[in-house]
Amino acid sequence: MRLLAVTVSLGAALLVMASAPSYAAGGDAIFKKSCASCHYTDGPAKEKTISDQLAKKGPELWYAGSKFKKDWLVAWLQDPKPIRPMKYNSLTDPNKGDHPKQSAGDAAATADFLMCLTSPEVKAGAVKPAESAPAKAIFTKKMPCGGCHEYATKGEKHGGKSGPSLVGASKRLNPDWIYAYLANIKVFKPVRDMPDFASVLNPKDLENVAAYVATFE
Amino acid sequence: MSRFVITTTLAAGLALGAVGSAQAEDIKQVYDFYCAQCHGVNGDGKGVNVTADFATDPRNFTVGAEMAKRTDEDIKGVIKDGGPSISKSPLMPPWGATLSAAQVDGLLGYIRKFAK
Repeated sequence: MRLLAVTVSLGAALLVMASAPSYAAGGDAIFKKSCASCHYTDGPAKEKTISDQLAKKGPELWYAGSKFKKDWLVAWLQDPKPIRPMKYNSLTDPNKGDHPKQSAGDAAATADFLMCLTSPEVKAGAVKPAESAPAKAIFTKKMPCGGCHEYATKGEKHGGKSGPSLVGASKRLNPDWIYAYLANIKVFKPVRDMPDFASVLNPKDLENVAAYVATFE
Repeated sequence: MSRFVITTTLAAGLALGAVGSAQAEDIKQVYDFYCAQCHGVNGDGKGVNVTADFATDPRNFTVGAEMAKRTDEDIKGVIKDGGPSISKSPLMPPWGATLSAAQVDGLLGYIRKFAK
């Protein structure tokens, strides 16, 4: 009798285990299993020294929901083309484009999770994509962003390689995040190889540049 | 007694040496992180950002004759306030809100050592 009870209990337990998916369907579980070894999501920013930054294998994602556009994120996770010309944290090795790919289902769930990670620094609806002469003058001449960032004119790429590419920024980045990043960069990246332009440009200039970058194809 | 003095002096000397090399390493890390993207790890102005589109040649720190024309204050000023502060290219951006005064001083010394 006791043997029967044990066998039935064990069988039921095995049945439950077999019918459960290998991980919970939630994007947070997928992220923890597949992404968390290179990206952290518990903000605020942890980096205090250059060594802290160099120890990271990939960008922090604790404000991903404020930074990215969801449609782009879902598509990119399935077909992750390089955003940075160079490997993360390297000035010598090109980006090999070897970021893991996700299935459509996992990408949608992961994007759902990431889009919940927001920063109160980013005020929704404050910046609309717009070209303007002042912004173009800052971007190309006064504080030439193209020194470190790729951008495209008429489909042709220009610019430096140390920063993330701005080609296709209109599809990838939330304009409100671009502004918040320029205005208060230390909140997002306390240690980074990009200057603090809020120290030399006024908020209106930063807003214009954010709106301009948000138009980039 | 004299042995004690020698030992103590030697220990102090080693300790100072260790501190000195640690600082030197830190400044190399600061230079490599912020400056090398344009000026190159070897200070030759051949950083990864210097593509055909780059509108100027980043300063080549190894050319002693050119570097000798710049005062320490010029160099510290251009690090903090960017190229236009000495009528040079804005592709050299202002790092004054990013770097500490000690880091700027350290970078000045580090950059000077590239000159041949």
